[in-house]
Amino acid sequence: MNAVTTNPAAASSILQLKNIVQEFPTEDGKINRVVHDISMEFNRPSINMLLGPSGCGKSTLLRMMGGVRPFEVTTPTSGSVLIDGQQCFGPHNDAVMVFQRYANRPDLSVYENIAFPFRLDLWKKKISTSEWKARVDSVLQAVGLMDKKDLYPHQLSGGQNQRVALARALVLRPRILLMDEPFGALDAQTREEMQSLLVRLHQSNPCLVMFVTHDVSEALLLGDRVIVLSTMPAIISDDFAILEPRPRGNQWLRSPEAVALQERVLTRLHQASPGKGSLRVGF
Amino acid sequence: MQNFWNPYAQLSSRQRYGLGIISVAGILILWSLLAASGSISPNKLPAPWRVISAMEYLAWSEGESKLLVATLWSAGRVAVAGLLVVFIGIPIGIVMGASPRINAMFSPLVDPFRSAPVVALLPILVMWFGIDELMKILFLFAGSVVYLVPMVRDAILAVPQSYWIGARDLGATPWECIRRTVVPMAMPRIADAIIVSVSVMWTYITVAEYVNAKEGLGQLIQNARRFSAMDQVFAGIIVIVALALITYQTMRWIKQKLYAWETQA
Repeated sequence: MNAVTTNPAAASSILQLKNIVQEFPTEDGKINRVVHDISMEFNRPSINMLLGPSGCGKSTLLRMMGGVRPFEVTTPTSGSVLIDGQQCFGPHNDAVMVFQRYANRPDLSVYENIAFPFRLDLWKKKISTSEWKARVDSVLQAVGLMDKKDLYPHQLSGGQNQRVALARALVLRPRILLMDEPFGALDAQTREEMQSLLVRLHQSNPCLVMFVTHDVSEALLLGDRVIVLSTMPAIISDDFAILEPRPRGNQWLRSPEAVALQERVLTRLHQASPGKGSLRVGF
Repeated sequence: MQNFWNPYAQLSSRQRYGLGIISVAGILILWSLLAASGSISPNKLPAPWRVISAMEYLAWSEGESKLLVATLWSAGRVAVAGLLVVFIGIPIGIVMGASPRINAMFSPLVDPFRSAPVVALLPILVMWFGIDELMKILFLFAGSVVYLVPMVRDAILAVPQSYWIGARDLGATPWECIRRTVVPMAMPRIADAIIVSVSVMWTYITVAEYVNAKEGLGQLIQNARRFSAMDQVFAGIIVIVALALITYQTMRWIKQKLYAWETQA
């Protein structure tokens, strides 16, 4: 599935986006441009936050990075996504996605859900049975679901279901983890738990995390780098690094540094697209 | 009478069976009164007790059980046609659901027959396949496969696309998505489709057995009608209804055991 062309110039970066444009045809025959000329590059395993109002095209951008094409539309319309310097066309083995609605199979137990990828030819060929069984056990341990492994998704809470989805992605040891508002449907306390779980997992197993959110605090708490996108079409309206080490608590979120960053993000967003979309602000 | 008009109110099983018994008993009483009054000839409406004694006669007389033999023949025909429907109809429904192109090609051949009078096909089937077993099995098959195929296709289409996207993202090929994700998730609805088509077969069995049958419940009814034994006609119909009900309930029970996750998901 993965037709590949080599590009030696970009060999050093894990993920690179070059002049990405995405257009969708609308029903009245017009063309709707949702992403306009976005270029960015990621060179080391880090957590990167794509922050923007809902419906600004950031999920479209994320799907492109994993090569997911839900509809019969060429993604991207123009520009290219490069993983390890190689252009990515279809679903990529090194990039795995975690969805907001976690997509856990109701007919499979927690264990079977996490082990599901190893029933596919792609992973069966690469990974031996003993190896994947060991991986599933260790990831169950890591997300704290060992005692729930025989339960079914309907018997779990929202947070536990999202742990299953996270575990199913991590069990493949992806180099790139794509998270599409993964904690957006959770209550505040569970969201905090999941955020610190992600930080812990990332510390022990670093990979490149691309994390889409519309929650300003979440972006500031988790990100090594925050990329602010404006809406319709999505363009980069701000891009900055946060050097504060993780885990960052609510204490830090109230520090002058964090408050200033928050002000900055909001100003940028209001300049770019006054009155459009919605953002979650506050602690 | 609290919650009388409330579609979501829960009834206790005692209430449910109690109310069901009231209506059935009401019909039985009305039937008995009409028969006992003598205003309707027993050749048109036999009394319930005469139907019961006809049932006893059919169940055991002259050293054989006509009812059991007829039931086994009818059930056997339904079973053979049922297996054919499952092994031919389900794969067709699955590939139609899995590919819009195959669906577009085959749906003009399948969809119109859902509302077509399949009974009208009987003379054609007789012309083509004669009046023996083959015709009867094919008639049952044709009568129910036209319900099964579209239902299986719709079962496949009802699986949310997010599961497809999720499996594709994990590296599944399109065919793996269908085999490992879409079909397993469509199974409860496919089971419903099987249940409906077997129920449909029980309604067609009598029609199939009216033509040149030497055995079967349809023949038993047809034969009794010829001799104006209305009590036996009623007995035969009651047996068919009971059998259809038992198969339906058994299949529902099996389905719920196999796919318990469906109701909770």
